Amino acid sequence: MQRIVDQGTLSQLRRGVIEYCVLALLRDGERYGFELVRTLSEVPGMVTSEGTLYPLLSRLRRAGVVETSWRESSSGPPRRYYRLTSSGRSVLEAFSGEWASFRNAVDHFLEQEKAV
Amino acid sequence: MNAATLHPLARDYLKRLKKAAAVLPRARRGELLAEIESHLSEALPAGASETEALNVLERLGEPAEIVAEAGAGQAPTRAGPTEWFAIALLLVGGFLFLVGWVVGVVLLWSSTLWTLRDKLIGTLVLPGGLATSAFIFTFVGAGTGSGSGISGEHADYLTLVLFGLFGVFLVVLPILTAIYLSRQAKRAKVAT
Repeated sequence: MQRIVDQGTLSQLRRGVIEYCVLALLRDGERYGFELVRTLSEVPGMVTSEGTLYPLLSRLRRAGVVETSWRESSSGPPRRYYRLTSSGRSVLEAFSGEWASFRNAVDHFLEQEKAV
Repeated sequence: MNAATLHPLARDYLKRLKKAAAVLPRARRGELLAEIESHLSEALPAGASETEALNVLERLGEPAEIVAEAGAGQAPTRAGPTEWFAIALLLVGGFLFLVGWVVGVVLLWSSTLWTLRDKLIGTLVLPGGLATSAFIFTFVGAGTGSGSGISGEHADYLTLVLFGLFGVFLVVLPILTAIYLSRQAKRAKVAT
């Protein structure tokens, strides 16, 4: 089953939504890069390589949806913290709504097919 | 976050990443390297075993893959007036007391459109542009002109042809470079 699903399509889908997963992770407060990357990659099926998340974080910063600051840590190397900007917060809210109806629409067809 | 405190395999990985990231604009390259270095020192204590190190690096992914991702989201850059100005100055700016050419070089190197190779070609072929060609041409031309009385008629003819070819070569080179640079500038869409 897994084999006949086009990997290109899957990675496109992933690429499309992962930015919003990052924003969602930041909803309750700031996190540093490594923490974000590890949290994302620990959920199976979301991240294929951790390193590619850093360019994504950089894109989010340039898009103005997150802001960053490097800070010293007591236990090791300096960490770069990411937090949502107000525009990031509204992007996340808008996406959450869109996503719910998109997911329901896809489910609608998938479930229907199963029922037939 | 001293590189010396990193695991040897992590240091090696960073070196490869740095090489692969050479195609990225400078600011983005610096940002990416800092993040990955921070990731490595976080994930990989200097005393970690080789197996642990290999696992961390595998999860991180291939440098080329990461760099491709860093280039992918970049807004397409198109050749603007600065790029055309740079090409023009490199070609004929030398006639403006050479200062014009120097300004051209600065513009060339500050553009993110051209690769390192393009920039080296733009700078070295020829330094000074057409002004250098003109200078060499008149200088050598004057030299052969004064020497014509001494050498035989046949040899004189040959040197004249040779210097003629040399002169054409000198004029054509900077023009070819200008054509090359404008083609590269038009082609460059994404800095990957």
